[in-house]
Amino acid sequence: MSAYLLRRVPSALLVLLLASFVIFLILRLIPGDPATTLAGPDAPPGTVEAIRAQLGLDQPVLTQYLDWLGSLLTGDLGPSYTIGGDVAELIGNGFGATVELAVGALLLVVALGLALGILGATARSRPVRAAVRILTTTALSVPPFVTGVVLVLTFAVALRWLPAGGHLSVLEAPDLGAQYLLLPSVCLSLPSAAVLGRYLKDGLERALDEDYVRTATALGVSRRRIVWRHALPNALPPAVTVLGMQTGHLLGGAILVEAIFAWPGLGQLAQQGVVLRDYPVVQALLLLLVAVFVATQLLTDIAYAWLDPRIRW
Amino acid sequence: MTTQTETRSGVATGTLARLRARNPYLNGLLSPRGITGLIIVGLLALAGLLAPALADFAPTAQSDQALHSPGGAHPLGTDEVGRDLFSRVLHGIRNDLAIILIAVPVAALAGSLLALLATASRAADAVVQRFFDLVLAFPGLILALAITAIMGPGFLPVVIVIALAETPGFGRVLRAGILVQREREYAVAARVGGAGRARVLIRHVLPNAVDPLIVQLAISLPVAVFIEGAMSFLGVGVRPPEPTLGSVLSQSMPYLSSHPWYAAAPLITVTGLVLGFTLIAEALNKGVRR
Amino acid sequence: MNTLFLPPSPGPTRRGVLRAAGAGSALLTLAACRSAVSHSESDEVGASAAPRRGGTLTVAHGVDFTPALLFSQSSMSLPQRLVFNTLTRYDDDLRPQPELAESWEVSPDGTTVTLRLRRGVTYHDGRPFTADDVVFAVENLQTPERSAQLRSTAEAVTALDKRGDHELTLTLAHPVGNLFDLFEFMIIPDRNTVEEALTGDRLVGTGPFRFDGWRPGSLLTFSRNDSYWQSGRPYLDGVEIRVITQTDSLLSSLRTGQSQLSLGVVGRDAATLKDDPQFTITTYTTGNGCSYVGANTAVRPTNDKTVRQAIAWALDRERIVEQAYGGFALASAAPWPESSPVFTEDNRTHYRHDPDRARELLRQAGATDISLPLGYSASPGNTVIAEMVQYDLEQVGIRTELQPYDPANAQRRLISQEMPALWTMNHGFAQVTPSTLAVSAYPFNEAHNTSRFQSAEYTGLVQDAWRRADPLDEEALDLYQRIADVLLDEAFIIDIAVLDIVQVARADVRGVTLNKFNYLTLDDAFLA
Repeated sequence: MSAYLLRRVPSALLVLLLASFVIFLILRLIPGDPATTLAGPDAPPGTVEAIRAQLGLDQPVLTQYLDWLGSLLTGDLGPSYTIGGDVAELIGNGFGATVELAVGALLLVVALGLALGILGATARSRPVRAAVRILTTTALSVPPFVTGVVLVLTFAVALRWLPAGGHLSVLEAPDLGAQYLLLPSVCLSLPSAAVLGRYLKDGLERALDEDYVRTATALGVSRRRIVWRHALPNALPPAVTVLGMQTGHLLGGAILVEAIFAWPGLGQLAQQGVVLRDYPVVQALLLLLVAVFVATQLLTDIAYAWLDPRIRW
Repeated sequence: MTTQTETRSGVATGTLARLRARNPYLNGLLSPRGITGLIIVGLLALAGLLAPALADFAPTAQSDQALHSPGGAHPLGTDEVGRDLFSRVLHGIRNDLAIILIAVPVAALAGSLLALLATASRAADAVVQRFFDLVLAFPGLILALAITAIMGPGFLPVVIVIALAETPGFGRVLRAGILVQREREYAVAARVGGAGRARVLIRHVLPNAVDPLIVQLAISLPVAVFIEGAMSFLGVGVRPPEPTLGSVLSQSMPYLSSHPWYAAAPLITVTGLVLGFTLIAEALNKGVRR
Repeated sequence: MNTLFLPPSPGPTRRGVLRAAGAGSALLTLAACRSAVSHSESDEVGASAAPRRGGTLTVAHGVDFTPALLFSQSSMSLPQRLVFNTLTRYDDDLRPQPELAESWEVSPDGTTVTLRLRRGVTYHDGRPFTADDVVFAVENLQTPERSAQLRSTAEAVTALDKRGDHELTLTLAHPVGNLFDLFEFMIIPDRNTVEEALTGDRLVGTGPFRFDGWRPGSLLTFSRNDSYWQSGRPYLDGVEIRVITQTDSLLSSLRTGQSQLSLGVVGRDAATLKDDPQFTITTYTTGNGCSYVGANTAVRPTNDKTVRQAIAWALDRERIVEQAYGGFALASAAPWPESSPVFTEDNRTHYRHDPDRARELLRQAGATDISLPLGYSASPGNTVIAEMVQYDLEQVGIRTELQPYDPANAQRRLISQEMPALWTMNHGFAQVTPSTLAVSAYPFNEAHNTSRFQSAEYTGLVQDAWRRADPLDEEALDLYQRIADVLLDEAFIIDIAVLDIVQVARADVRGVTLNKFNYLTLDDAFLA
């Protein structure tokens, strides 16, 4: 195990370092910097230069980059430039909202994915299987901005059951918060649920085709027991891998879903940060997202290895 | 792929059956799933191609009749500055297809070249793999925001973002294919028989590694539609007043509650397009896997 | 399904019970309680309700607070007058009224101003307000980093001399006609905590509400200042500002009564609320800035005045007002709102929609087949304006290519004079003393502007007008009209429309006002 980790971790760190450099560089290539943002449209001459000096943007780029790396190592991300507040605090707040959304979506992914997978593989009626297939394909292919609009039109505009967007923390007001959470998390979860469902269905079908299942069936073991006790445990490890990969997709998709539903999470923060040229916030945030992505991949591989007894180190 | 079916549909049925048996793509495409996808995409593409002939109004012609309900001279109504939505949706399909048909092949080409590079040497492999990791690790839409902020919104940044986002997919698929095929007996035999590396690669390995690439191509099409739309929603899509499906849909957002019909046509069209592409991709995949 | 979502249940006990139920049973409580969407029954109240103490007012706003811009005019200036006070406050006729300055005296030559400050005013931390705080406030705005648009006016103050704790004299480099614009604009912060204010950690002022906290992206909270200098005020116990960036959610939060007031509703959305008896819609004649087309006078063919005038005739302002602003704006060729002393119907309609005349002028200028870039700041609202301008210009034979810039880049190009031949944006500062426009709004600045327009006549008129001791006497008014004549004739800034500030309030919200810089003022506000 440790040899395996030893091989994987340095490469992950290298990706992180590369990412930090790319992030830093890309931001500085964008025309318009935090100083122009803060100066405003009516800035008298000299304002921009004064603000630039105050923020340290007049330093050489390499110095700024090394300073930033230094601040990352010490863990003190400092104040934001244009949004206001501490970088760590801003990211913390956004993280809370995004995690709420992602956890909501992830629960739905697991629930819907299991339902679609099991139903698709084991349902005896052809219409049910066809329906599952159509549902899976649709959920898989239709982009979140389409499902988002359809959900809003149906549940917010026509039926007026749920709010069209906005956010209230589930921890503060569980009842209202859950209503705000429902549409965005459904919207976010559908494609991943479909992917999970499909892998699970394939896995189950393959497992149900194995000899020991036929033997078990011949011995009179109930089908329910066969599915839950034998086929499912065998189909799960690859599904977990998929789920891990989909977590990355969820984070990426969250940006769009947050924009559609005005959800004040990391995606909105990232967009706001890019628009306002808040270098420290965007830098830290992007690096965090890359780190999460890299870590999820790493953990997924480990989890897969742990769940699947055939893999040994 | 469309051309394949078109040119072959005229051939006598007997030949078709033989071709089907030999050609796994055709076999997949001619499944119910594939045919449905082809019909949907074909109809939409045709409507997009014929947009100038089908629409009575230019997609950018404004009028006093803003937010006109569907009917009369405007079968799908008008938008907030009085432009004909029928025309905008048709031209939107056209622009979407133009973006996709440039961006996806570019991604396929770039991905393939990188894959070839990666399989050539161990060092190159490490570099290429890290590059793919990096692109995949960045949330694509933030990449889109950054690239557009640098270049300014327009057709080109959308194409670049799509191409960049889809390159690793092609690269990884082809790399894996080459690595597997290279160790197959026939390739090893050819090498032992004295054939050069390049010859083995071109004559033996590539033709067999290309299958998954075709499937990947089909998978990339709906993803491209998705990226275009998402960029429009984030306000970094194609430059106005040119319509794309994503931009028409995102412009309809403020009017969802007051004029819900505004969103309906772009919504249905985008759904049709991605669904059609997905069905084709799945059909191809099934054909190849069989 | 309907039974799952009952209308909001009033009363604190129910809420307490729900809280006690805890997060673990979120789904259970969902079945039993409030809905985030159903209409709340608003109490029928008589129009003449007397002021009532208590209650928290929830304000919905589409833009988040940016503390770094606390001392600058920005699109979020709601907290300024809640937490802080200004020295004076204009009435509807631009006559200053006392706030923290109780009285003032301007010397006959207009170069010294003596302020007598209100006594017994304390900051939220208990420290008494004195003349030192005013000195600090003026010097603060003189610092370039604060990027205060009225910095030129603050810089005209050359000396600040205290006489005791509650009197001070300002010495000016020359008479300054818009000095009271500065006093309307300049909040008086606690000088010991100004750095914390700029990061949004701590805002300490003398205003009617204490700042409790800011959760970026979602919420600002304020509570009543019990020792406010105006006795018996404010009526409200607290104020919450909810940041809701999505239009539909903002509207639905108003419809459901989750918020009771918004100044962030754009015209076309306000149009959909007009007939709803739940709401009172108020517009202020102060205006919310203007949209305009700017022309670069340093490049061909917009260096030709005739071409610029042709563009001014080509714009269909009424259609833009109707389609882009839902009727909540005033089509105007001149920058000044109806409340301005220089507003006249002639100025407003100096250019009307006359494509033939535009074509004729272009022929005269020999500019028949032209193609120009048209820059704009890419947000959904501005995109529509740019598209409409493009269409109108196309009708008179000027082809344009839209150049969307993201807001920061648009701002950079604007202040570094890098705009293309044409651009469209918004400007402010026409709602106060007319000379302020030409010294504080960058597009109109006589010395340095995006259009690169300069003329001795314009500079002379602007400087004369700015140096008037009395900004509203006959001579001053005459100067303003002559500035208007130059602006309209030269057409380097071609105004489209003066936008309305749209205030949407639920029927039970009373007594909300704004100052001339749109600082939300809730001293007298109450929930009926």
